[in-house]
Amino acid sequence: MENNRQMSAQQLMQKVSEAAFYVTDLKLYLDTHPDDARALRMFGEASRNAKACFEAFEKRFYPLFATSADCDSDWEWLVGTWPSQKMA
Amino acid sequence: MFIFTKMTQIPVKINNKNPRLASYILSQYGGPDGELGASLRYLSQRFAQTEKSGIALLTDIGTEELGHLEMIGSIVTQLTKGEGAKSFDRYGVGDYYIDHANGVYPASAAGVPFSAAYLQSKADPIADIMEDMAAEQKARATYDNILRMCDDPDVTNIIRYLREREVVHFQRFGELLDMLQSKIK
Ligand SMILES: [Fe+2]
Repeated sequence: MENNRQMSAQQLMQKVSEAAFYVTDLKLYLDTHPDDARALRMFGEASRNAKACFEAFEKRFYPLFATSADCDSDWEWLVGTWPSQKMA
Repeated sequence: MFIFTKMTQIPVKINNKNPRLASYILSQYGGPDGELGASLRYLSQRFAQTEKSGIALLTDIGTEELGHLEMIGSIVTQLTKGEGAKSFDRYGVGDYYIDHANGVYPASAAGVPFSAAYLQSKADPIADIMEDMAAEQKARATYDNILRMCDDPDVTNIIRYLREREVVHFQRFGELLDMLQSKIK
């Protein structure tokens, strides 16, 4: 995630969704292959990468999880593109 | 419990308007083989699963389907955003406009409201997983029908993706069925 400084919200969201998808797909696979050592290793890496992507996005743009919302002066949770909206 | 994340599995960005296409795609929101039925089916059936793998898989796929429900709602919203009564009428979906205007209502393409009769919960892991495999195939077939009807590349990309997920879910349910059956033997 070194070069995320230049990325637009849309470009970085693409990275976030790819990283989160990899976790989702591996999770389903592990549900039915809980002893697959290679998949377990892949999950560890996928999970770390997804966390880094979420953090990078939230730091630059807006909170994806309510627990990340800034509440110092205003309610930052309202900021950003909600799933019903189209990302600008 | 569920924690909402302010994103969709893949970004939904539809540039064109088409209320008719929206009314077809709405079937995967509240139709007989749609995402609402899928998520309710798996999230209900999981309470009777006995194996950890079964509980986990139904929880995780049921959760993913809820996310897909949200994506379908977003496609329908973006395809009809700003379109008025006359536009809905020109596209042949004036009847939908009369009851729901630009709202997203869980119904089939033919306007039949969502029903829990679309799904079962039998407390019999084998019977439930067999239903789930059939449900994934029916959802996949519905996405195929939508693809035959759709000529908007923004929409086609997302529908193809959702179709592919049904194929993966079918595969995982098949593996679970094998696990359950080998435990019985
Ligand atoms: Fe599915």
